[in-house]
Amino acid sequence: MMKRKWLVAGLAWVAVIAFAASKGTVARSTALKYPAHAELDGVAMGAVLLTSQEARSNFISDLNHCCLVVEVAMYPQQGQPVEVSLNDFSLRTIGTDHAVKAGSATLISGTLQKKAAASRDVVVSPSVGVGYESGAVYDPITGQPRRGGGVYTQTGVGIGIGSPGGQGGGTDADRKVMETELDEKGLPEGAVATPVAGYLYFPLAKRAKNARYELEYGLNGSKVVLRLAE
Amino acid sequence: MRKAAISFGLALALGVLQNYGFGQTPAQNSDTAASAVSGNPPNTPPDKPAQDQVRKWHVKLGPVLVGAGYSRFSGPFYYPYGFSQIDGFYRAWFWDPYWDYAVPYPSGYFAYNDGRGEVKISLDPRSVDPKLAEVYVDNAFAGTADHLKNIWLEPGVYELSVLSKNRTAYRRRIYVLSGRSLKIPATLDSVNPEKATESKR
Repeated sequence: MMKRKWLVAGLAWVAVIAFAASKGTVARSTALKYPAHAELDGVAMGAVLLTSQEARSNFISDLNHCCLVVEVAMYPQQGQPVEVSLNDFSLRTIGTDHAVKAGSATLISGTLQKKAAASRDVVVSPSVGVGYESGAVYDPITGQPRRGGGVYTQTGVGIGIGSPGGQGGGTDADRKVMETELDEKGLPEGAVATPVAGYLYFPLAKRAKNARYELEYGLNGSKVVLRLAE
Repeated sequence: MRKAAISFGLALALGVLQNYGFGQTPAQNSDTAASAVSGNPPNTPPDKPAQDQVRKWHVKLGPVLVGAGYSRFSGPFYYPYGFSQIDGFYRAWFWDPYWDYAVPYPSGYFAYNDGRGEVKISLDPRSVDPKLAEVYVDNAFAGTADHLKNIWLEPGVYELSVLSKNRTAYRRRIYVLSGRSLKIPATLDSVNPEKATESKR
């Protein structure tokens, strides 16, 4: 009976490890391959802040409208699993007291859906034209028809304002897709025994110009601070 | 007088046509084609009589367009009313809401959407013939790449595969959002024919 319990527990542990490993991204060979890296209690850690362009190409969800995205990799020591939780990560703007916790996929997808549903398309369409025009016109003073003609040029600009949600991504089905994408690409949570990597989403509405950020991670009462560079 | 009547009639007809074109639901035109790809039945109810199945115009308010322009007539100037270069009839340039150029529409306004997202598959024709590249969506054959440069799919997560003989299979998990366009630059490298040829056909 006892053996069976241990077997079930072992299988559950393997399942947890396997599930955790299927999420996220592929970790680089070592933490040193990341621009920002550190080690704490035998756990190596690497991080990189994604640029707007990288966030746009790596996700179909428009994360630039709500968040800063940081790719994080954890390298636990062999045989010593580490408990990874989003609550342990926070992003701080250097030189300020402003820090935010990493947001869950559910929270971020809900924010993105709300923004997409409220956004409108504004399209500016310039136009130019050149042509020749001729024909008879009536002189309003003499009343006599006369022939005239000449080259005309035209310039114009049209401004189109679309209806709310015209950019797409504002429906409930879209929110579920975004949640799935963010969850599947996010840093796996739970106990991890092998190197894992994934994205963290920090809900900062605007990326301040020339601002620099640092990632804080708390482990066993200690804190690691990684200065991020894009 | 007769000329003025003809002019008025034509202007009225043009105006009506323009209004209908402006408010037409873009999804109506391509609904059948896209349903075939996504596997959904056409929207037409099956029990309606044939005479009721004639396509109806759905007039709705489109984007609000504000135009501004400048027109210069370099020839002799007689009066602020001149000939249109399009139809030759008199018109007041500064009073005509349609002016003399086409009303600009936002890009993609007439594209098929209807709550679906677009997936654009681009294959390098030097590496593989698109006619021989098979596209699978969720392991179901969707067609060859030459016919599927654009696929409209319901919002969701799909497994996309592009396979061709003697080529490495291209597989990618894709996330489709409504109204968004996803570009897939698929590359199928050449492999040793004795190794993997993953064609499912």
